[in-house]
Amino acid sequence: MILTVKKLSVTYGTKEAVDNISFSIKPGEVIGILGANGAGKSSTIAAVLGIEKSNYEELTMLGKSPILHRKEVFQEVGVQFQETNFQEGLTVCEACEQWESLYKHTADVPLLLQTFGLVGKETQLVKTLSGGERQRLAVLLALISNPKLVFLDELTTGLDTKARRLLWKQLLAMKEKGLAIVLTSHYMDEVEALCDKILILKEGKTVFHGTIQEVIHVSKKATLENAYLYYAGEEDWV
Amino acid sequence: MSTFLTFLKIEGKLVWKGIDILIFGICFPIILATLFGYLLNKDGLAGASNFELSYAAVITIGVLATGVMGVPLTIADYRHRGILKRFQVTPVSPLQILFAQGLIQLSSALVSFIGVTIVYHLLFDYELKGSWGIFLLTYAFVIIAMYSIGIFIGSLVPDQKSANVWSSVAYFTMLLFSGATIPYEVMPRFFQWVMDILPLSHGIHLLKQASTGEPLTDGLFHIVILALCIIIGLCGAIKFFKWK
Repeated sequence: MILTVKKLSVTYGTKEAVDNISFSIKPGEVIGILGANGAGKSSTIAAVLGIEKSNYEELTMLGKSPILHRKEVFQEVGVQFQETNFQEGLTVCEACEQWESLYKHTADVPLLLQTFGLVGKETQLVKTLSGGERQRLAVLLALISNPKLVFLDELTTGLDTKARRLLWKQLLAMKEKGLAIVLTSHYMDEVEALCDKILILKEGKTVFHGTIQEVIHVSKKATLENAYLYYAGEEDWV
Repeated sequence: MSTFLTFLKIEGKLVWKGIDILIFGICFPIILATLFGYLLNKDGLAGASNFELSYAAVITIGVLATGVMGVPLTIADYRHRGILKRFQVTPVSPLQILFAQGLIQLSSALVSFIGVTIVYHLLFDYELKGSWGIFLLTYAFVIIAMYSIGIFIGSLVPDQKSANVWSSVAYFTMLLFSGATIPYEVMPRFFQWVMDILPLSHGIHLLKQASTGEPLTDGLFHIVILALCIIIGLCGAIKFFKWK
């Protein structure tokens, strides 16, 4: 297992934001964490990364604790947050250079820039990029260390259809080579295209954990979207 | 290139692009140096003149502006905008970020030091009476103490608002009440007691003694106070550093 999470809980005051969640993934596997806004997706990711305080029975990435062995673990784990801010006045090229300098081994940056459609933007200030371009830069930076495991929080929110397809293609190719991915998404076509397993959260609790075929089969719905709405408790709204 | 050097290069460029470091760190002390040169009494009837004593004080203003203001404000800004959170999930150590920021700010404090020194020497024929070696060592010690206070504030403050408040409190009280702008010697006795609490007062005392070539009488006490600032500041910063 490249990532193991057992009985993870996050509490804010008296509110249980994440309640007893367990999951694990192997190299080359993709898990999608799904749920409505506020269901606990980002809190789960933050707790797994060690940013948010949590209680757990087991939390290991690449066999180590991301909290006790932060520096070693994050040599090989990439992260893209839902919202990515950069230093004022930073250019695309400098953002890449700075991120490259953090790791022992790095990917081919010019190739990544090409893959993510950022060629010709190197000298541009990050703040003058379009929302989609900035999002692609954030994903690029998460992949710059050639990670074995990557966390992508709402990776294609704000991207146009073509850019989304390009990104999926790229991630699937990396998955073939053994990259494990934890992602959150609101788009079921994306989940179907990328994920092997899904975890549906509702008010911090796991309401479904299994494959896409299983969720459709068990819920007796025709599509993943309907099965998701059934489990996430959003069906009444439709 | 190593992480640290890359940080120095990129962050240095970002900081130097900002105008505040130029105004508060460099222009302000140099203007004040020129003013003091015209205004202060240069007759040293009983020992060193006010003008001679002021040199040791004015060279600390750039250190204050960069170390106690610049460092904590930059770190708090990075924390506020989630930039430190992004660094938290990389192999970088908080020490590398803090020291890189410290060194960058220090570079402008040194430009300010050189500028002030040139004004004192060339415009007003100032001569350092003590040994330059001892004086520069003392200066380096005071710089480390002031930066430790700044790094401590930057590491602990939860948000930008409190960074503003705490660094302003530290900056303005030390700017006004430690002899950096208004000489300790002209202050009423009551204010001098208050001033004795502030770490920079002790730094300026030491620098004055070193610059006039006086033996460092009661120097040990000042050194202990500054050493405490360094130990408490740096240990606290490492122990309580907040990424977000």
